[in-house]
Amino acid sequence: MFDRDDDIVERVVRQLRQPVSIDPALDARVLKQIADGPARPVAAPRSRFQWRRWPWLAAAAVLGAILVARPWTAGNDTAASSAFQFVLVAPQASTVALVGDFNDWDPARSPMQTAQGVWATTVPLAPGRYRYAFLVNGVEWRADPGAPRARDDEFGTPSSVITVGGNGS
Amino acid sequence: MMLTALLLVIQVAAQDPRLERLDPETRSLVVSVVDSVRAVGLPTEPLIQRALEGVTKGASGARIVAAVRRLATDLGTARSALGPRASAPELEAGVAALRAGASPEVLTGLRDARRPPLTMALAVLADLVASGVPADSASAVVLALAPTARDADLVEFRKAVERDISLGAPPGAAAAVRALNTGIRFGNSDATSGQPPNRPPSRP
Repeated sequence: MFDRDDDIVERVVRQLRQPVSIDPALDARVLKQIADGPARPVAAPRSRFQWRRWPWLAAAAVLGAILVARPWTAGNDTAASSAFQFVLVAPQASTVALVGDFNDWDPARSPMQTAQGVWATTVPLAPGRYRYAFLVNGVEWRADPGAPRARDDEFGTPSSVITVGGNGS
Repeated sequence: MMLTALLLVIQVAAQDPRLERLDPETRSLVVSVVDSVRAVGLPTEPLIQRALEGVTKGASGARIVAAVRRLATDLGTARSALGPRASAPELEAGVAALRAGASPEVLTGLRDARRPPLTMALAVLADLVASGVPADSASAVVLALAPTARDADLVEFRKAVERDISLGAPPGAAAAVRALNTGIRFGNSDATSGQPPNRPPSRP
């Protein structure tokens, strides 16, 4: 096995030692090209257009950095909304509206639909903490029995709170 | 004279149209609070929503202005505790936690212990107190859970405590027992002494 390897090595060495034939006119051609100068400039002169691109590139870089860092969302509460269903069981009610921080406390914005006294509506909510309440028959305020109560109700009627986490939890 | 009139026109134009639901006198006072809050870089939307809540609930102008001013002050306190980079939802949740009885030091501790956003941790703290858990106990348990618990874990913890309370458990005991089940020590200063294995960097 070693003899065979030695034989291969011997042949490779022999091949490498053979002289390489080069075109005798090669040197002359190379020297002529050098004397004539390069066919194309090595580096194209910078045009005014290229110089003008720098401010735009710099502005784009800064804008990109700002978009990536998003300093205005410090705290990283992502802005993606998730749909949340609000339900109130009120068999005797003729109308129920959901009002809260997410609809400017406007009863006309989120009227609830009923099915045999179970009133429901779905609202998209971005991450955050929202106060809300149900307005029954246009006059009666009710908190959500299935949600934490707002402790700081300064207007004398009950409210609830819902907190939406960054992952919609 | 002309300049004053121009400034007045600009102010009216810049005013949030939603505030037109307020009577002129109340609106003027609310707008001045909103403007001053905006000037110091605090979020103004919570103030507008609080004013609209008051209008919809039929509260008097004086009550609405008082509520808006109090909220503005509390937003400032929350930002002092949570740092200048706190988001609007974090500040709102911070206000809720402060009003529930958490100290500003607890808010700062949460900021140092937990990677942002802190909204859910602060909200769970406020909600636990709203459920009857003493503020000190709620603060201790949330601080202990904060370094490692996910938002969903905190919500589950709160729901479990509320379920126990609805079944008759004393609120403080419910929070303590549920906290013990998560493996944290709770009920005294030990609850905040454990350091998380990978403590996140503090936020200024």
